[in-house]
Amino acid sequence: MNTLKITILLVLGCGIAILAADHQAVSLEKAKELGRMKSRFLKVTEADVPATGAIPKANLAHFQEAVGPVLKRSCLACHGPEKSEGRLRVDKLNPDLLIGPDVERWREVYNVLSNSEMPPEDEPDYALADADRGGIVDWLSSELNKASVIRRNKKEHSSFRRLTKYEYNFALQDLLGLTYALANKLPPETASEDGFKNSSELLQMSAMQFETYREIGRKALKRAIVSGERPKAVTYIISMQKEMDGAASAKNAKTFDKNDKSYRNNRNRQHLLNRETGKGIQFSSGKSMPQPEAVVGQTPAVSPVVLVLPGSNELKLNLDRFLPDEGIMRVRIRAGRSTMNPDEYASLRLVFSAHTSNNANFSQVISERDIPVTASAEAPQFIHFDIPLGDIQRNPFRKLTTTFPRRDEFLHIRNVSNATGGKEPLQVLIDSIEISAPFFEQWPPKTHTDIFIANDNKSDEEIYGRELLTRFLRRVWRRPVTSKDVGQFMALFAEYRPGFSNFEDAMLEVLATALATPEFLYLTQRVAANTPETPGTISDLELASRLSIFLWSSIPDDELLELAEQGKLREPKVLTAQVERMLSDPRSRRFSRNFVQQWLGMDGLESVTHITDNSLREAMQEEPIAFFDEVLNHNLGIMNFIHSDFALVNERLAAHYGIPGVYGPHFRKVSIEPQTNRGGLLTGAAVLAMNSDGKDSHPLKRGVWMLERILHDPPPPPPPNVPEVDLTDPQILKMTLKERIADHRNKPACISCHSRIDPWGIAFENYDALGAYRTQIKNKPVDATSKLFNKQTLAGMDGLKRHLLTDRQDQLARAMVHKLTAYALGRPLSFGDHADIDRLTAQFRQRGDHLGDLVHLVIGSNIFNSK
Amino acid sequence: MNHKSVQVSRRTFLRGSGVALALPWFESFAAGSPSADETPKRFVSIYHPDGVGLPLKSDPAWKDWSWFPRGGEKDFELTKVLDVLEPLRGDITVYSGLSHPAVRKVHGHSNADQYLTGAATGGHGPYQNSISLDQVYAERAGDFTRHSSLVMSTNGGIGGPRGAQTQSFNREGRPIPAMNKPKQIFDMLFVTSSKNAAARLARSKSALDLLIANTRSLERHLSGHDQETLKQYLDAVRDTEVKLSKAQKWIDTPIPKVDTQHLHLEAEPKEARLYFQTMYELIYLAFLSDSTRVATFQLGRENGEGPHDLLSKAVGLGGAHGLTHAVKQPKGWKNLGTYNRYQAEEFGRFAQRLKETPEPTGKGNMLDNTFAMHGSASSSFHLSRNYPIISAGGKNLGFTNGRYLKFGNGNEDNQAGAGIVSDAGWRGKIEAEELPLARLFVTILQRLGVETESFAGSTGTLSRV
Repeated sequence: MNTLKITILLVLGCGIAILAADHQAVSLEKAKELGRMKSRFLKVTEADVPATGAIPKANLAHFQEAVGPVLKRSCLACHGPEKSEGRLRVDKLNPDLLIGPDVERWREVYNVLSNSEMPPEDEPDYALADADRGGIVDWLSSELNKASVIRRNKKEHSSFRRLTKYEYNFALQDLLGLTYALANKLPPETASEDGFKNSSELLQMSAMQFETYREIGRKALKRAIVSGERPKAVTYIISMQKEMDGAASAKNAKTFDKNDKSYRNNRNRQHLLNRETGKGIQFSSGKSMPQPEAVVGQTPAVSPVVLVLPGSNELKLNLDRFLPDEGIMRVRIRAGRSTMNPDEYASLRLVFSAHTSNNANFSQVISERDIPVTASAEAPQFIHFDIPLGDIQRNPFRKLTTTFPRRDEFLHIRNVSNATGGKEPLQVLIDSIEISAPFFEQWPPKTHTDIFIANDNKSDEEIYGRELLTRFLRRVWRRPVTSKDVGQFMALFAEYRPGFSNFEDAMLEVLATALATPEFLYLTQRVAANTPETPGTISDLELASRLSIFLWSSIPDDELLELAEQGKLREPKVLTAQVERMLSDPRSRRFSRNFVQQWLGMDGLESVTHITDNSLREAMQEEPIAFFDEVLNHNLGIMNFIHSDFALVNERLAAHYGIPGVYGPHFRKVSIEPQTNRGGLLTGAAVLAMNSDGKDSHPLKRGVWMLERILHDPPPPPPPNVPEVDLTDPQILKMTLKERIADHRNKPACISCHSRIDPWGIAFENYDALGAYRTQIKNKPVDATSKLFNKQTLAGMDGLKRHLLTDRQDQLARAMVHKLTAYALGRPLSFGDHADIDRLTAQFRQRGDHLGDLVHLVIGSNIFNSK
Repeated sequence: MNHKSVQVSRRTFLRGSGVALALPWFESFAAGSPSADETPKRFVSIYHPDGVGLPLKSDPAWKDWSWFPRGGEKDFELTKVLDVLEPLRGDITVYSGLSHPAVRKVHGHSNADQYLTGAATGGHGPYQNSISLDQVYAERAGDFTRHSSLVMSTNGGIGGPRGAQTQSFNREGRPIPAMNKPKQIFDMLFVTSSKNAAARLARSKSALDLLIANTRSLERHLSGHDQETLKQYLDAVRDTEVKLSKAQKWIDTPIPKVDTQHLHLEAEPKEARLYFQTMYELIYLAFLSDSTRVATFQLGRENGEGPHDLLSKAVGLGGAHGLTHAVKQPKGWKNLGTYNRYQAEEFGRFAQRLKETPEPTGKGNMLDNTFAMHGSASSSFHLSRNYPIISAGGKNLGFTNGRYLKFGNGNEDNQAGAGIVSDAGWRGKIEAEELPLARLFVTILQRLGVETESFAGSTGTLSRV
């Protein structure tokens, strides 16, 4: 008996093992291929999608004949007169989708049937044969599309909207040639239900907002435009040779020798070193005074005397109180690396501080990003930072005539590095530093001459004013301007001129007014008089603006404007080439950043407090953007967002994920093994961490995120009076998280929504609140297995990915098309857009799901070119 | 009577610009703002640095020189520090157990910055503040007065991060410079009229005209739906126009005439009593003439130094900041108490003056329509907890005075942190439970007519107030 039992167990055991192995044999990459073959969109032809213009009719005959009876057989028991689960009665739905009131309900039916969520798998009596399911889905799909075309003409949403805060900032930067943030003063934007901040419905205008635009525009112009003589710069020049001479001649100077054994004690602190003689001296802070005669931008011979700055050390320079209030401070540092090990990096960062009295102090990073030091000490490089002095926290006491509170301001130059010491540690060696403000590359600066162009008419204010306004307004309004347009502004100029001592100052006020016009602040779409044959189409100029806002978050450049003015922009070859050009321009990084942050809801990372390591938080934020960039730039398939056999990481994030051999702060693509448990966006630490509650994972948040962001199937908002989970109940306290969720879900008020949300989130349970992989929670193995509403089992993250890739590719692809189109249009999509999105999805899938193709498809689409 | 003329000119102005008025603006104006003939609601906050004396019960000085009162809500007894306020007993409220949670473990010297803002201003590193209580109210009350607020301090200017010399911060959290010279304040209130301002205004007016014309011509090319969207922009421009007209109105309205004979406008902080009283008098005159309804006044900067330290000369003592460090020396508690007593005395004099002045609209006296606050962001030595706060007035706003209101738990006799003279105190564990001071701020704002449920991230009001 016993032997038999064991044998049976063994056989069973083997069977399970074999089954499991069989299951595993299908790699996620293979699942992508298999899942793709199931696509409905691959079978769709252009003819299936009604063209705009034709008058569609409802196909009621097919409903009576084929659809109605099947629905009756498989659905009525739960969604009929006896029971109406989810308050749905299929027998009450009007089968005419074109004029009937039930389109939204039908769309839900369509969704649950096409995602195989209904009928439930454990109701075999009501199972739907594949052919029946397909029949209903096809009929519904076609009827929904027809209904969408009908409704399209009753258009509900418009892309006419003001620029967002970030678009306004970039538009102003690109227009005026200023490189630093200008619009911080504007209030933040609200995100739409889709997560987008550029959604027309939500972009309001108020008096306060309007006044802020005027203030920002005027201030930006004041920075771009100059008048009078070139201002004398305040310049500090710090030569390490001189510092060494000074320090060494001090009375009790403690010098040391590099060749002494005791050098170890000094090696890891900042010091001055003569690389020829080996003589060194400690040096961590200097005091410098402006040198009136100094000339900046020189390249003197490399000095043997250098400041040695080990990792995490800094030089603190006291600049006293002489830096000007406004203007750019250029900090120019000649630096090199002591060793060239490629796994180690070193970079420079600037910090600004003051300590005015006890407990009244501040210090702030003022450099926008760390700049890597890549050159060797023998052939050092110049690194420069440009800091807008008017925008950083300054010492308010710097102009006191008394000496207390203290007036001085400090500049810290910090070495940010991953070097860990050792015998030959990586250090940054600096031989000279120049600080100069206000700094101008040329005089007058380019920002000025771009507006006040050099030409022969300068002496005639009327002619010259018209000329420069014509140019300026064309950029501001993104269209050619008429002489009447210019006349309006010249009249204002004539009124202002007597109140100012020079032309430029008066003109500045006029230009500031131009920056407050609605045609600058809004993305306009005119009811065109000149293209009667295509009344719903936007003009070439409007297309140029829509394109640049989409891909650059800014206004068009001259090339784009010229093509639009010449009427060439819509020529397919020209358009494709322009999109390619725009995508390879650095400005397209704004697209990746803004789209990904909004699509994935990355703001959520700001509202969790449990990520205490700043460099980890920054790396988390950057990862999905870098990943998106990789997929976009190499035109890869979007199923990579679900799973990929590569990851984009930097050193900090690689350490977090347990990926070895990644050094340095920049993101790069690395191949990963399945046991890394990463790949795609779902397992990115940012997504996992922001959907946590501070201590632990939060399956509900993760589930909602999945449904909203990835599947575009947002759950309804929670009903009022939902019972809270009672954490004072000792029974509940004893439960594991998963048990607690199940307990909550089993309450009648909660079950219908939670059974759709929770299973998605539970599949993420192998990732903790920081997104680190785990196999145990409080010494118990992680249980990440869950069952979807349709009884489909998700075995953890791997199972989740497998399910999505095998069974839900159409939904994923359509969700991606929807999200990208909503962002590109800057308006919410509605039912009227259904047919367009379907058509786009079919084209996208048929072309192979490539992200780059999708961008081109969207731009070439009917919907993108419509008002 | 001055008030009446304001009212008339407002009506004239409305009639004058009425043709161009968009309805939404008019509605919001009427629904959301107090009308001009309502009695002004005023707010003033006085801040003093360095906290108050808080000896241990076991200390012989406790009986006389501990700042907080003894006893219950109504039967409280003032110690020698506050007994100068006894004549105003029915018009004041003393609070305990309130503080801003974000900085309870930050050195008290860094915290004048956040007294009216409740921001997490921290102790070092990057610095960010948020809007102060007075400015939230000024955004609303400023619609009806020449100056939206009067910001004063003994040291003037803005001070430095974590070393503020102003109590007022704008919506972006930037400090608003405080005025400290009586003559300048007086001129600003009652003398200055600016030619430049008029020219700037005229330029703005022309710019807005152009923008409206420009918007009109764009409008013609838009769909009906998009015209609706653009209307928001047009309304925004119009609202701005209305603001300009308001500013213009103030330029055209004669400045109230004030008798300067009793004022010592050249007084300096070293003439402590004179200076202090002159500053208070200027707030009084600004309120009386309805030049503003909002004022803040900071007595110097935390951590001593500068003019504030000289105020203690009025009672014959050395540097004010030094008094807090010397409490364990002979007469230490008494000296600090004497100085705090002097501050309370001047605050009382100011409150009394408001009380004795009938409200120009005839509704009670000026104190009844003014909420006056006096306090500090530290109680005991460098300890940023249990702020010592007194308020006066506000009867017509809904405040019931004559009370000592204790909030929180575990510190009923105000002994937490008492008697400390080392930094272990402010760094130490928080034993007692205190309520967010921002909840008092929400109560104040609501009673001033600002519809809000929260301030500085703290939601809800204080019960019993």
